[in-house]
Order: sequence, then structure tokens, then C-alpha cells
Amino acid sequence: MKCFSRYLPYIFRPANTILSSSCHTEADIISTVEFNHTGELLATGDKGGRVVIFQREQESKNQIHRRGEYNVYSTFQSHEPEFDYLKSLEIEEKINKIRWLPQQNAAYFLLSTNDKTVKLWKVSERDKRPEGYNLKDEEGRLRDPATITTLRVPVLRPMDLMVEATPRRVFANAHTYHINSISVNSDYETYMSADDLRINLWNFEITNQSFNIVDIKPANMEELTEVITAAEFHPHHCNTFVYSSSKGTIRLCDMRASALCDRHTKFFEEPEDPSNRSFFSEIISSISDVKFSHSGRYIMTRDYLTVKVWDLNMENRPIETYQVHDYLRSKLCSLYENDCIFDKFECVWNGSDSVIMTGSYNNFFRMFDRNTKRDVTLEASRENSKPRAILKPRKVCVGGKRRKDEISVDSLDFSKKILHTAWHPSENIIAVAATNNLYIFQDKVN
Amino acid sequence: MEVQKEAQRIMTLSVWKMYHSRMQRGGLRLHRSLQLSLVMRSARELYLSAKVEALEPEVSLPPACPSDPRLHPPREVESTVETATADGEQPSPEPMDTQEAPTAEEIPAYSAPRPAKVSRKRRSSSLRDGGDAGLVPSKKARLEEKEEEEGLSSEVADRLQPPPAQAEGAFPNLARVLQRRFSGLLNCSPAAPPTAPPACEAKPACRPADSMLNVLVRTVVAF
Repeated sequence: MKCFSRYLPYIFRPANTILSSSCHTEADIISTVEFNHTGELLATGDKGGRVVIFQREQESKNQIHRRGEYNVYSTFQSHEPEFDYLKSLEIEEKINKIRWLPQQNAAYFLLSTNDKTVKLWKVSERDKRPEGYNLKDEEGRLRDPATITTLRVPVLRPMDLMVEATPRRVFANAHTYHINSISVNSDYETYMSADDLRINLWNFEITNQSFNIVDIKPANMEELTEVITAAEFHPHHCNTFVYSSSKGTIRLCDMRASALCDRHTKFFEEPEDPSNRSFFSEIISSISDVKFSHSGRYIMTRDYLTVKVWDLNMENRPIETYQVHDYLRSKLCSLYENDCIFDKFECVWNGSDSVIMTGSYNNFFRMFDRNTKRDVTLEASRENSKPRAILKPRKVCVGGKRRKDEISVDSLDFSKKILHTAWHPSENIIAVAATNNLYIFQDKVN
Repeated sequence: MEVQKEAQRIMTLSVWKMYHSRMQRGGLRLHRSLQLSLVMRSARELYLSAKVEALEPEVSLPPACPSDPRLHPPREVESTVETATADGEQPSPEPMDTQEAPTAEEIPAYSAPRPAKVSRKRRSSSLRDGGDAGLVPSKKARLEEKEEEEGLSSEVADRLQPPPAQAEGAFPNLARVLQRRFSGLLNCSPAAPPTAPPACEAKPACRPADSMLNVLVRTVVAF
């Protein structure tokens, strides 16, 4: 696979991270990563409720080798810890998801959400400031009207670039359960937010009401058998969306059919392989992420051990299944004990939908080329990420004699997990979040 | 036997995780709780099926069980299960009666409609609506006797319980049930695990987990 045969890795860390590789606070753990539609900006959210936006450096004739470096553009506190006094529950400030809106003017807009509240943020630049007010002096203090003898018009003068983020909308009090997904519709007027049992449709301009479009809460909660785990709008058809469940199924719904989309239009489910049936089958079949391809023809789902690609025109089975770390199948009991079996991995498409990527343990992440059927395991680590270094493929030894440079399954560090990754929309640049570190890798083919 | 031990260990581990999840920030996670309940159910089914296969004779109250009030939970759990039933929750799936050999019919009792013929307890709960007072007074008497012992174990439970304001939250039924039951389970487990629960050995004290877990598995999704 030609992609990522040579790499220029960069390492970014949140501004307040302690500069020690082994020490970081819980709040610094990155919880979501997302490129914007052009790939110019990269947003990260963390458990402390902060959003850090990186911007790609512009191409310069003088510093051509610096093209592609991402530097911190803006940092702001998106969500704060809250307390629900009615239910006596603390609401975490952790950012669950960030989604960018397409750029329509000079400012950038993004949605960020924690467990209960979605916020629309405007990120804008200010590089000029008005000077020469009549009624105020240069420090902003009001002048004595008696001293004003002339009339002058304020003029805009250049200033140091300042990037400011302001919350433009707050969409609150619409979710009883924990929000797991947000997705911007292709009409750019609406978006949806999904929790464990319900999906709501919002208009960006209206914050005090939303439409409930999916409700799977049973009348008797004792009959609850599945929850919603992820949801996404179709990239082109504003009436179509999909949502995945904890039972490993995907439902495609058409909002034109009815106001409440409890009845799906398409139902994607693969029959369970009886030979793989185990004690924890139900847990590992839960889908943790669902993503439409850029073309809108396919959907990709991630469960605990595999990534599957589905054709929207075929509901009875996926067209492709990729084993991410099948060597863990025999370790499920241990993974249940240390809670790793509940980890929710995400998956991403590359810009041309030819390669898919997802994370694993030991700071490994995997790429699968759909055309050549080749796959590679790479590692995001400081030792392997020196400037201009080439990422070497890694291999996990599942049994027998371990070769040099291979790592045995028992040596994997399950505390180092890559749950969140992002792929530039048009170039081979990837962002990989490893706990509190953000790695950005770029394919440089000379 | 190994299968039974493993199933018991998984059940204990799951209950511990369920309890621990209440303490985490953000409150109970519905998805996590559902997954834990599924594992508990699978473990229970495996445990019961292994028991059927082994055709073990039913074990009554363990003779080796000392008369420590904290280890009375076997009776206490069953009585408090009935208390929970009386609180208005739906009748729990029928726990294995100590005198009866488990049958294959009872294994899917969790999900299937429960027949009324299986044991005295079920019959009494179904007849409660019919007003048959023959069995109820004796149950009430037993409950009154056990309240003292509940009080003794409540001291242990209090140390484990969060303040009531926190314990309620979004899932009050589950919180109440866990507060009442889990102290008993912890007392019958080898040790209250600070980090990870140890393997639950095949002690007779684990026996009452059947009835408790029936309630717990159901109450997990009852909120």
C-alpha cells in the first residue's frame, strides 16, 4: 500500500498538558477529533470540556517544507461541569463529539456536545480594531463632552491577530439520556442529536424546541433490549439518516415517510456466526460507530473486533469485513474484567473511500485498503515519531515463535488505546488521538 | 463445576461493576448497564444449565455458615426480594427453590412468561392478588424476624451507600434495590473488592446470588 509509506509525524499536545510522557490529568484526555470540510482546521475536544482548534499553515514559497504543519489556532472552554439538581446527577463536561458546519463566510462554525447539551460555536478572526472614537479615549474611557471640539470618524487599524470563539446557540434540555452523536444535515439548516433511546432533529436557529424523530424507549423499561449507539445523516440526501444499535444492527430511515421514524426503511443485520458465539457475544457485537462513505453509497460500522462495510442496497450482510484485532477474541474475559471490552472505537474513511482506518490498543491503529485488500498496523508513539521518520508497520504475534519487532498479545498495553481518529477530507493526512496526545501524520511521496 | 465457578465469578464481577458504575461521574450509563445485565443473564443461564447438567443435589443452608449476622444474607436476600416485590415492582423471576431440582423450564424464566406452578414463592405472589392469606402471614412473620438482622447489616450497607441524594438520581428503582441488596452480596462474597473482585469460590454463601441476581438483572433494565 503506497499510502503512508513515508511519514512526517508531528506531535501536538493540549496547551496545559504536563510535559512528561507518563503524567497527564484526566481532563487532558482527548475525546473527539474532527477535520473541517476543507481540512484546513482540525478540532479536538477533551474530557475537561475544552476545544482546541489547529490550523494548517499556508503554503509559502520561502518555507515550502512547512506546508502541512498544524498549529494551535484557538482554544476555548466549550462545556463546564453541571449539576442536575432534580436528579442529583453530575453532568460531565467531556466533549463527546464535534462536528463542523460548512464555511459560508469568514467565520467558522462548529457544534460541540457533552452528555446533555449541544452548543454552536462561532470562531472568528479579528485582525483590525477601530480607533478614533469621538466619545471614548484610546483606553475606552468616556471623554468629557466639554473637551470634544471636532467630529471624527473611527478608522480600522491593523492589530495582532486574535481568534475568538463565541457560543451562538445553546441547545439544551432535550435529552434524558446521554448524547452519543451529532450530525449536520446536508441542507445545512438542521442537525440531529442522538442519545441512548431518542434522536432529535434541530434547526440551527431554534434552540427552545426540537423534533423527536426516533424513539425506541419501550413502554416498560424492563423490556429494553437495545440502545442507540451512533447516528449520522446521509452526506447528500437530507431526508435520510442511519442509526446503529447495541445489538449490531443498523437502521436507515427516511424522514419523508413519517414524522416519527420508528419504522425503518432499511434494516442491516448480519446473521451471527454460531461458531463465534461466546459469553460476551452481545457486548462485542454492539456497534460503536457508523459512518457514511463520502459517496453516500456505503456505510461503515465498527464493533469491538471488526470493521464492516455495508452497501446500502444490500441489507442481509456486509460486503466487506475486516478483522481489527481478532487475537483479542480469546481474551474477552480479561477484557471484561478490566472494562476494555466496553471501549468505543471510531472508524473513518479516507477522502476517496478507498481506505478505512480505526484504532486499537497499545497505541496501534489499523488501515485497510479496500481495493488491494492489504492492511497495515501502525503505532502512534513518541519514540517512533521523530521528524521525518517513517512509521514502521507493526505486527502482533498471536502464537508460536515471536519474531523480532513483533509484539506478543500478552505484552499489549491496554491502557494505551486509540479510540478517535480523523482523516483529512482530500489529502493523506491523519490525526490520531492517543490518550492526551494528538499525532498528525502525513504521507509525503516524493 | 468449573463452568459453574466461572459463571458465578462473572456474575459477581458484573454486580460489582454495576454497583461501581453508580459512583462514576455522569451517573449510570444506560448502555453500560444494559451490557452488564446481558452478561449477568448469560452467566446466570450458563450457571443454571451447568447445574442441570451436573445434576447436583440441592444444597440447603450451609452448615459451615457461622451464625454471624452479616452472613445471614441468604435468608435476608430472599426476604428482601419479596419485599421488593411487595414494593410494587413486577414479581421477580422465580429463584431456584432450595428443595426443588432445577428444571430446564426455569432456565429461560428471566425472559419468558413465568408459569405459576413452579414453587411456593411464585404461587404465593400470584395468589396475593387473590387474597389467599394462608401463606402471606407466615412470610410477613419471617420478614419481621429478619428486620433486626437487616438492621445489623445496614451498618455495613451504610458505609457502602452514597448519600441518598446521590443514590437516587435518574434511576431510583435500581438505586434503591442496589442499596438494599448489594450489601448482602458483598457480605457473602469473599471480600469487598477495592479494585477488582476476586474470583468467587464455590462457597454456599454465593448460593443466594441466584435470587438476588434475578432481581438485579431485572432491575438493571427497570429504570
